[in-house]
Amino acid sequence: MGKVGQFFLRTKLYWGLIVLFAAGVVSSPVSSKGVNIFLTPGNLADVLRQVSNNGIVAVGMTLVILTGGIDLSVGSVLALGTVVCAMLLTDPGWTSGSVIAVPMLIGVTFVLVAWFVGAAARTMASPTISQPLRRTGALGAGVVAAALVGAWAVVQVPATFGVLGVLAAVPAVGLCVGAFSGVIIAKTRMQPFIVTLAMMVGILGVARLVAGQDTAVHPVYTGENATADFEDLRALIYRILPVPGLFFLAAVAIFHIVLKRSTFGRYVYAIGGNEQAARLSGINVDRVKIAVYALSGMLTCLAGVLYVAQYRQGKPDAGLGLELDAIAAVVIGGTNLMGGKGSMIGTLVGVLIFGFLGNILQLNNIDSNTQLVLKGLIILAAVLLQEGNMRVLVWRAASRVKSWLPASARWGERPREKPSTRSG
Amino acid sequence: MKRRTVLKLGAGVAATSLFAPTRPLFAAAKYRFGFSQVTTVEPWRVQFNAAMKREAEKYPEVELIISDGQDRTEKQVADVENFITQQVDVLLISPKESAGLTGVVEKAIDAKIPVIVLDRNVDTDRYNQFIGGDNVVIGKAAGEYAVKLLGGSGKAAGNVVEIWGGMGTQPAHDRHDGFHEFTDKEPGIKNLLDKQSADWKQQKAYDVMATALKANEKIDLVYGHNDPMAYGAYLAAKDAGREKEMKFLGVDGIPNEGVAWVNKGELTATFLYPTPGAEGVRQALKIVKGETVEKKITLPTMTIDASNAAQILKENGLL
Repeated sequence: MGKVGQFFLRTKLYWGLIVLFAAGVVSSPVSSKGVNIFLTPGNLADVLRQVSNNGIVAVGMTLVILTGGIDLSVGSVLALGTVVCAMLLTDPGWTSGSVIAVPMLIGVTFVLVAWFVGAAARTMASPTISQPLRRTGALGAGVVAAALVGAWAVVQVPATFGVLGVLAAVPAVGLCVGAFSGVIIAKTRMQPFIVTLAMMVGILGVARLVAGQDTAVHPVYTGENATADFEDLRALIYRILPVPGLFFLAAVAIFHIVLKRSTFGRYVYAIGGNEQAARLSGINVDRVKIAVYALSGMLTCLAGVLYVAQYRQGKPDAGLGLELDAIAAVVIGGTNLMGGKGSMIGTLVGVLIFGFLGNILQLNNIDSNTQLVLKGLIILAAVLLQEGNMRVLVWRAASRVKSWLPASARWGERPREKPSTRSG
Repeated sequence: MKRRTVLKLGAGVAATSLFAPTRPLFAAAKYRFGFSQVTTVEPWRVQFNAAMKREAEKYPEVELIISDGQDRTEKQVADVENFITQQVDVLLISPKESAGLTGVVEKAIDAKIPVIVLDRNVDTDRYNQFIGGDNVVIGKAAGEYAVKLLGGSGKAAGNVVEIWGGMGTQPAHDRHDGFHEFTDKEPGIKNLLDKQSADWKQQKAYDVMATALKANEKIDLVYGHNDPMAYGAYLAAKDAGREKEMKFLGVDGIPNEGVAWVNKGELTATFLYPTPGAEGVRQALKIVKGETVEKKITLPTMTIDASNAAQILKENGLL
């Protein structure tokens, strides 16, 4: 294969996005002033806003899939997040929402601060400080931080929570739920598919119980039953950049750097590539696995908060089918479901392809049933274009053509199967 | 409140939900009505159940057992089979879909249990009674109202966005057909979207409307097949700063949703889709007392707009 071909294969993901974008421009209806509606800043901002929830979940899903796992529970976890968020915002006092969220926030603060101080002390402190002293210091710092955060949260309970309150408390709930899945997966060596499937069912039940038997939907009317500041989370910065989109892009950027630059990121790839080898080479596989599921849960609940901001409600069926959308975006983005191969930028592209496709179909007023068919075809096409599948397809076609040709006209050997170690 | 919440979250959760269905076996009530509800997470269904429970509490001789089909046909079939085994005095059912639940309704009739079908019908006439609203009538009421809003019969003009419920569900088609019986007669009315479904969901309607607002510079009226979708469309228009340019019509008229939004002036009108639960309890009582009941009861609709929304909210203790 020539250099041009190689280049196209390596960048095909971006070409897909560019082709789709061009299709959007060409097919877009034009406004009476002659403006291409698809290209208006308002429309592009809208696409970014619409994909941001799915995108944030897909960032966490990418981490999980890179380790060779899967997280089917995201839909239910997001639903729980929306319910807890809406209740914290609108119901004063100790409701089932705050009873869950406040202790989890305190616990998460304690663990994170103690771990962070402990790690910092290990790397930076002079060797004269003994290990027990470091441990006491870390635990002490954790207790102090947890007490401070706890006091801050408990003060908000009798009234209702503010924006920072829900942005801290709701992801903490997701982190706990995700960590729970992670612990079970890591310690019992059960299949992630089964464990997160069980969590998907169980957490949906928890979300419904928290919401209450006789309330299917918790409406959030900012400025009436909830703080007006909450509107900031759906605002357009400079009238163009939607805040949910900002969260999504920030999540992509942060976890792109984490994957490419940190030891943790390298461990994620190593575990997905060959878990046994990673274990034998001394990586604490269990801890990394627990971390990726916890991060997935945390990001999912963050998306839950943004869901409440955009759609002004929290409800137990909010995340229905979300796991499939998130997995589809990750797979379109070129991440291998077997783990070890893929990138965060790929997921960004996958999420955008999905979003632009929906937007283009909607702008052209294609009916809802046809939209579903086209989306299914796009997923198939994207997976087909993935390196391995493409190579098999090309090789088969080539060998069939070859078998028809006389022996003298046949060309070279079958292409060598090169194991790809590239991650992007 | 606090204690109740803690209880709800504790180990009690598992226990109560496990034992709730069996408790009536030991109760002293004279009549046991089993009601198989399709789901309990939709606002309309919540209202349905709440009204039904309120009605049942008026009669001390009645024990009402409600099961939740969790929006799955097979779960609902199992629920009904469970009621048949328990030998309830009357079976009430609001089926997920017609075909899948017909067999088990016939099974109940074979077991000599009277059956009242609520809201959606089954594919047999072997039941005692059907109670439901008529979605075509509701669609017509909305269509007539829309024509009036856009200039009146014969001279109505404007661009209409219709947001469909689930494409595969009968209510969506009925609400569409009834509406268009009126609007299609008006040459001045233009339909902007072609079968755009938001699957009854507020958040999906928001996204459909956000795009429709980009693609269409002039929208005069939005018709959502239910109130949450009409409200989602309103929110999208509001976020685009264009909500004052258009009217929003919804369907269902649940007090704390549609009626409240109409009262705030966010929706222009909603059309009541009555819940058949309370009537079902009254009719079931007639059946156990040996009275004959009509084969079919159609509950009337009602137009709810600025003129009566506040009154309805007061009646429901919400204002």
